[in-house]
Amino acid sequence: MTALAGLAVVGSSAWAKPVAKADVIRLGMIGTGARGAGLATLIQKMPGIELVACCDNIPEHLQKGMSLAKKGAKAYTDYRKLLDDKSIDAVIIATPLYLHYPMAVAALQAGKHVYLEKSMTYDIPQAIDLVKKVRESNLIFQVGYQYRYYGLYHRVKEVIDQNWLGKITHFECQYNRNSNWRFPVSDPKLERAINWRMHREYCGGPLSELCAHEIDVVNFMLNAHPTKVVGLGGINYWKDGRDTFDNIRTVYDYPNGVKASVTSVLSNAYNGYSIRILGDKATVEILRDKAFIYAESTNNAKGTVDGVTGATLAVTTQGKGVELKFGEPGEEKLEPTTYALQDFFSCIKTKKQPISNVETGRDGSISIHMGNAAADTETVQFWKPEYAA
Amino acid sequence: MCRMQVKRLKKVTLWRLGSLLTMLFGFTQFQQLTELKPFQLTGLAQGTTYAITYYSQREIIQKPQIDSIFSRLDQSLSIYSPTSLISRFNQSATGVETDMHLRQVVQKSLAIFNETAGVFDITVHPLVNAWGFGTEKVTTLPDSATIKSLLACVGSEKLRLNQNWLRKTVPCTRIDVNGIAQGYSVDVIANYLEKHGIRNYMVEVGGEIRVKGRKYPQNTPMSIGIETPTKNEFESASIQTVIEVNQGAVTTSGNYRKYRQVGPNRISHIINPKTGYTSQNELISVTVMAHDAIIADGYDNALLAMGLSQALAFLKHHQNLDAYFIYQKSNGAITDTATAGFYKFMR
Repeated sequence: MTALAGLAVVGSSAWAKPVAKADVIRLGMIGTGARGAGLATLIQKMPGIELVACCDNIPEHLQKGMSLAKKGAKAYTDYRKLLDDKSIDAVIIATPLYLHYPMAVAALQAGKHVYLEKSMTYDIPQAIDLVKKVRESNLIFQVGYQYRYYGLYHRVKEVIDQNWLGKITHFECQYNRNSNWRFPVSDPKLERAINWRMHREYCGGPLSELCAHEIDVVNFMLNAHPTKVVGLGGINYWKDGRDTFDNIRTVYDYPNGVKASVTSVLSNAYNGYSIRILGDKATVEILRDKAFIYAESTNNAKGTVDGVTGATLAVTTQGKGVELKFGEPGEEKLEPTTYALQDFFSCIKTKKQPISNVETGRDGSISIHMGNAAADTETVQFWKPEYAA
Repeated sequence: MCRMQVKRLKKVTLWRLGSLLTMLFGFTQFQQLTELKPFQLTGLAQGTTYAITYYSQREIIQKPQIDSIFSRLDQSLSIYSPTSLISRFNQSATGVETDMHLRQVVQKSLAIFNETAGVFDITVHPLVNAWGFGTEKVTTLPDSATIKSLLACVGSEKLRLNQNWLRKTVPCTRIDVNGIAQGYSVDVIANYLEKHGIRNYMVEVGGEIRVKGRKYPQNTPMSIGIETPTKNEFESASIQTVIEVNQGAVTTSGNYRKYRQVGPNRISHIINPKTGYTSQNELISVTVMAHDAIIADGYDNALLAMGLSQALAFLKHHQNLDAYFIYQKSNGAITDTATAGFYKFMR
């Protein structure tokens, strides 16, 4: 039996084509704007993945997507047509937020694995319902929070778990820029389609499109979701017809009194993206692609003695940040999204739900909507028990 | 009999005179001592911090004088300065004419090399670099072929110190005195204070200490805290134990602050000069007491590399040294032990 099985394997591999078709994931991309095209560029370099269809209703976006797709790929302007293609295994959805839920639901119904860009859904009921739909589907569903796959954040989490920071009491998150956050428009008719981030009809503004990552990072670091939130926001600088905030400041409360301030200001870019984690022993400051750790000074220990003998303390570690090293020495640092996509494709093969899944996505989306609601109504918003059913 | 009495009388008179003088002198000395005030100098040197406290009636020494001593030491002993004397020795194929600092440090290093049967070895520099603890930035770990080729350059028997000349028998031999230079610097500063008539002081450079006398106006012994090892390179430590020393040097070498993290592994900065590989044993830190800081500093590294049992055996035959060890037991618990002599100084 064993010998025969062995022969059969040898036989089949000897006649097989260089790449076995069953190992290739055939992928469709719904939404090939700036983000979709960025994902397509990364996918081009990934073996075993074929981008065989693109969909966008803006012609220049679709053209761009097709230029990055496999030769012979199909172009669609209606995503439902793309989903009808039975040969497609999985889709990436990189469209404006208000389209996420209907498109994701349709993709699940069509039997496709889904990689849905962050943030997950436009409102809270959609987030709760999507969890149900994914559970029923038996399909892989990943939300595009790539920082959950980035070595830098794993290292920070490891350092927290090893108690380097001591007791953590606060997070300070900001995602600032000094620009109107608008994309150029070739045809005035496309204004709202391209600059959908300016309108609440399509998204939640800076909180859902920028700070979403940081809210997810706090949830990830604490393995929790917020219990309540306060916030203030406004349109005070870019009075250009937008109706999403150009500045918002929220404070989320987590279990054990841990608080996370989440800020986005579109008129100042100092330290644009940063997360500071405050512990009673040290602070970690996370920037785009590096992190620094700042020890709390402990002069009180020295007060009791006249001198201290110990292994030489490098001068850079006193008052200044020490860079937190991550990854193997000499290891090539890839764009964090590459790791997220690699995991999505590997989850499809191993049939495991990803780390950034529909439930963490739901918690992120509900947190975002609570924050916006707090600023809209100027009242405290509470996490309701039915959210995490 | 009569003679004896006279002699005795003389003795008594002399004793009385002596005690009277002592009392008088002692009184003035006491008066002077109570007028002593602390003067503190702190700064940055040798990639770390220094702190000097001396007790005097007036300010005798100021920071620029100390900084000038450090800069002179750097010109001689710093491997981070490409133009220092040590760097010129490392770059040369045969050797250089030494100055006082390099000569004294190398002389003591060679003595400790012999005394420790080669555990302490300043020619380990090429290996230090290869393992990523030196002046060059490296991203990978050395392979066995690299180590084998570097070992051909290592070994203090390849050094010759004759009067003013330090020579090498192999062109690729390079030295790194970082394991002993800090202690030497402490001695240089302490001797400088003494030359200026200071009798009560504490000199600390990067955790290496030399102390003399007491602190004033309290007129109490000076206390030295021994750090509790920390888990990472930046955390400031608390105090494990406190000692009181009237005179001498105390230095510490630890495995806890200087290491490289490669994947899940911590690579120790202690390198075995014979095998070329980093060595790891149960010791987390070793604190050594000796008369001079250069001696204490030279031996703390060697004892750390030896491991606990070998280190204790070594200390039995070296009564001029006392040591305190923090180590990890086989069950993972952190504990400490010390030589009998060391316990006497614990508060």
